[in-house]
Amino acid sequence: MNRLRIPFWVTAAFAAVALLILALCLAGCGSSKPSSTITFWQGYTDIERTAIEQSVADFNATNPGFKVQAVFAGNNDYALTKLRTALAAGKAPDISYQYGSSMALLAKLPQVVDLTAKVKEPAFDWNDFFPAVRLATMASGKVLGVPALVDNLALVYNKKLFDQAGVSYPTAQWTWDDFRTAAKKLTNSSAKQFGWAYINDGSEDTVWRFLALLWQAGGDLLTPDNTKAAFNSPAGLKAMTLLYDMANQDHSIYLDSGNDNYLNLFNAGKIAMLWTGPWDISSINAGVEYGVQILPGDVSHATIAGPDNYVIIANGSQRVDDAWKFLSWYLSPKEHLKFAIATGDLPIRESETKLPDYTNVFLKKYPADAVFVANLNNVTKARPNIPAYPKISADLGQAVQAVLLGKLTPQQALQQAEQQVNADIAAGM
Amino acid sequence: MTGAENGAGGRGGPGRARLWDRLFASDHVAGWLFVSPAVVLIGLFGVAPIVWSLIISFQQNSLDTSGIWIGLANYRHLMHDPAFAASVRRTIVYTALFVPITLFAALAVAVTLNRRLHGMRFYRTAVFAPVVTSTVATAIMFSWLLDPYFGIVNLFLNKVGVASQSFFQDPSQALYCIVLVTVWGWLGFAVVIYLAALQGIPRELLEAAEIDGATRWRAFWRVQFPLLGPTTLFLVVWLSINALQEFDEIYVITHGGPLASTTVVVYYLFQQAFAFFDAGYATAIAYVVFLGILALTVVQLLLGRKLVHYRS
Repeated sequence: MNRLRIPFWVTAAFAAVALLILALCLAGCGSSKPSSTITFWQGYTDIERTAIEQSVADFNATNPGFKVQAVFAGNNDYALTKLRTALAAGKAPDISYQYGSSMALLAKLPQVVDLTAKVKEPAFDWNDFFPAVRLATMASGKVLGVPALVDNLALVYNKKLFDQAGVSYPTAQWTWDDFRTAAKKLTNSSAKQFGWAYINDGSEDTVWRFLALLWQAGGDLLTPDNTKAAFNSPAGLKAMTLLYDMANQDHSIYLDSGNDNYLNLFNAGKIAMLWTGPWDISSINAGVEYGVQILPGDVSHATIAGPDNYVIIANGSQRVDDAWKFLSWYLSPKEHLKFAIATGDLPIRESETKLPDYTNVFLKKYPADAVFVANLNNVTKARPNIPAYPKISADLGQAVQAVLLGKLTPQQALQQAEQQVNADIAAGM
Repeated sequence: MTGAENGAGGRGGPGRARLWDRLFASDHVAGWLFVSPAVVLIGLFGVAPIVWSLIISFQQNSLDTSGIWIGLANYRHLMHDPAFAASVRRTIVYTALFVPITLFAALAVAVTLNRRLHGMRFYRTAVFAPVVTSTVATAIMFSWLLDPYFGIVNLFLNKVGVASQSFFQDPSQALYCIVLVTVWGWLGFAVVIYLAALQGIPRELLEAAEIDGATRWRAFWRVQFPLLGPTTLFLVVWLSINALQEFDEIYVITHGGPLASTTVVVYYLFQQAFAFFDAGYATAIAYVVFLGILALTVVQLLLGRKLVHYRS
């Protein structure tokens, strides 16, 4: 038997390589940063990313003592999942961009820093932030983040289609009836043209537009103490009935299955009106002449805001202080307006709108944003920040979908959703 | 250890150096060193998550806070969850359609392509193209083709006098449309496997059948098809495993809807884990799916042993 003899040096070389790979594997998971650099996770590409990196560079250039490093952490849709995973692995950033709708779940994490005392520092001027954005940073009675972005739903319409159909442009006084009548007139089945588009995938995208309708009719999602469903009410019925009638009688709604075809169709002149926010404005083609108006109203012209926040993670008190110092600077009126001018994001502080650059630069560059800023005054309510919200949203999403597809009457859908929501709240307590 | 190896350990002094030498001269050590990077990676990214998720399935766990041990409660909840039962039913319907349709379509295409014809390479490439196309791209393409209002499919249907269909927007059609999309995506894979198998069948067997007076149809079903048995078995097992885990196309096109009509079991699992952050329940579902797939595969292989003819 002739066995292969491996020379000593070959074995040793392989051992070295193997150990090196092992060491790299372990080091890769365990790299640590010097405490003088704090990490800032954000989820934007394009213009926003450039603007964020510019702000961070400005801060680093003028503030000695510590450095901020902005890291693209993947699409914001996964920010909550990523942060939770990073926390589980013990590798969390110091600052993380998070959706407002995630606050209730973030409130359950001990690592998220309670900022209730910090925002009250006079220099931060907390009450200067719009009420809608302040509301969205709260969960379990605590301020758990500072505002990162605010938007809201307004009515965006294609002027050419209105002209062709001989319908006058929407006004700030439009009622639901005006809206429904116009949508019907703007619908032309032979030209495959629709008055309105509704995202009908049963997700939060489906639900928040319904919440705006519900609030306009004077209703609310839950009872004030967030313990029971309150939407199975005359207001809820009115809102559901509007959707049911428009989808099943007038056939004036294009039902988008959630793949965002609606925007391409708006660009192609196949959809006359959208209920959407500033984020879609930049995707409207240059050739499409559009207008922006506040939402039509019933009892009120209420809209809904989708504010996002920055949260600070407890990685030691020095780092928390540094993170706070950076955010206070970053969210100062002057700095945020610079960011808004670069990106088209709305101002988050009242005082930003008083700065000269707001009128002279911002509104000139983004004329449509004037309506969205004014519309912030129509944000009077927020989604309940409770841990059961994702399930409540899923229940309501199914109800709205059933009504749009004509599978359930508004009454049936509301009853069914009410039962499910009450069960989910009870299970979540 | 052989004497020859001991004799080679002359480097340095005796004793320690000899042991050192012996250790490194042994094939065991060298072998383990060769495979250690792979073992570490598989252990870290394969075995550890499998074990960990089993532990999580016995917990009330939201991934971030350390879980609370609740024993079998997740599994008990599963038994009484009508939404889970419904998602299992949809998965079964989906698999029962997807596997046989893919199989028979692939067989038909493979037989058609198994001949010498001008431009055959082009056709074979064309059939295989969907396999290497990203599922997301495929899904977006079909969501446009089957758009109820603007899709080209409805345009054709209208031309031949059929009313427009709602496809992905209709709870009673959406799952079947997902079957269609995924069959299209998997067909090329099955065709390639069948083609290879068809080309491995000796010509003499078909010639013998011809001489015995068999028609081509009869020769196919009596000679070729039985000889494809092992291939068919492999495809049934492989396609079933994948069908039971169907997710991508549903995630992109329908988000499980409309009205949960395409919420198959893996999509339901995904919702529990990443929409409701109930990792304990989600991993319990994952383990039930795993056991289901394991059981089905064992049954398929046992049946295969009886039905499939292996050429010796």
